[in-house]
Amino acid sequence: MPREPLVWTLDQLTQAPLGAVQAWATPSVYSRVESVLPYRLTPPFTSGGVVPESVVVVGGGALIDEAKVWVRDNAPGARLIAVPSIWGSGAEATPIAVLNRHGRKQITVDDAFLPYARVLWPELGATVPASRALHACGDCWAHALEAFLSPLASEAIRAEMALLLGELSAMPLSYDARWFDLSYRAGAGQARASVGLTHGIAHTLEGALHEQQPDGNWSHARLCATFLWPVMELTRSTSDKWQTLTRRYDLDGDAVMSVLRRLFDPHAYHRALPILASMWPDVLRDPCTRTGGILARQSHLRHFEQFEQAAPAQMEPQR
Amino acid sequence: MSNREKLRGLMVEVFLLTDEEFRFDLTRAEIDTWDSLGIVSLAVGIEETFAYHLTPDEATRLGSVQDVMTVLATRGVDFAA
Repeated sequence: MPREPLVWTLDQLTQAPLGAVQAWATPSVYSRVESVLPYRLTPPFTSGGVVPESVVVVGGGALIDEAKVWVRDNAPGARLIAVPSIWGSGAEATPIAVLNRHGRKQITVDDAFLPYARVLWPELGATVPASRALHACGDCWAHALEAFLSPLASEAIRAEMALLLGELSAMPLSYDARWFDLSYRAGAGQARASVGLTHGIAHTLEGALHEQQPDGNWSHARLCATFLWPVMELTRSTSDKWQTLTRRYDLDGDAVMSVLRRLFDPHAYHRALPILASMWPDVLRDPCTRTGGILARQSHLRHFEQFEQAAPAQMEPQR
Repeated sequence: MSNREKLRGLMVEVFLLTDEEFRFDLTRAEIDTWDSLGIVSLAVGIEETFAYHLTPDEATRLGSVQDVMTVLATRGVDFAA
């Protein structure tokens, strides 16, 4: 069995004998982190000429993933201490790095990427804006649901994910300290199985949307939150896998769909749809798409185009 | 739609081929998308199309379109028509 990162509280982090430390923090929590951690913060991906024994990275999934690669390449053997500032990505749980390179997502897997420890500091997420919190919840949901439906998931992973999905169904789609641990579990689940079409769409579209709609506030999490419902409706309509697995694991599929409707952002969907249409062949080639729970087909683009008309009638009352 | 036509459509979708590129005598070596991801995708597609769940060993050993037909034929899928 692969090891899991140690789980530390903030007190354990500040008291741990970490040797020479490089500490990095994302701008949104920089001042708070600077006032609490006993280390001098430096710009990310710099070492000041000293090879660190430990790297403490406080931030979202993108920063944590870049830190994984930096540590492997520049300070092999150093402990990577991941402190998520927002829930959703589960980056602190996985040996996977999803990197933005030239407008495209590059996925690399390396056992060396798995953090030495993850730190629970959920208060960092308490001031996240409501819309960003909703998207983070969608990211977590996408990991758990796509891992549950993954053709690479063992029965044990499916059982774990079904249990997790039941817990997620009872969560508010807003800040709650429990999201950090739930996201960790979802991230660990998808790392042992695979994700699917939702992630294939998100990875393919994100760079193009940033470039073509720089005002769109696009993020991986927003795309996952927005596309998870249409992808699951496609799954439900084209394969008996949804019905078979939800029944086998005693999962309330209607309750799950109800949450996905609340995660859906019709404005984002409307703006992303033309890009989806133009990049559909790339979506079909994406590694996440190709290891997903359903076979994504050329004709499935029509489902997404028709979904825009069908969705409003099925949406939940506004959150 | 005959099972041969279903299989042709499936292979084209799974391996992202054009209709012109597909032949029933294609081998894995001739299809660059028949990689580890393609194996997973093929297994999912066969389950959806022919309601047969390939074991991981079966999925990995498939080396040609003919192999796919042979495995499915042992499960009662008739490709004669």
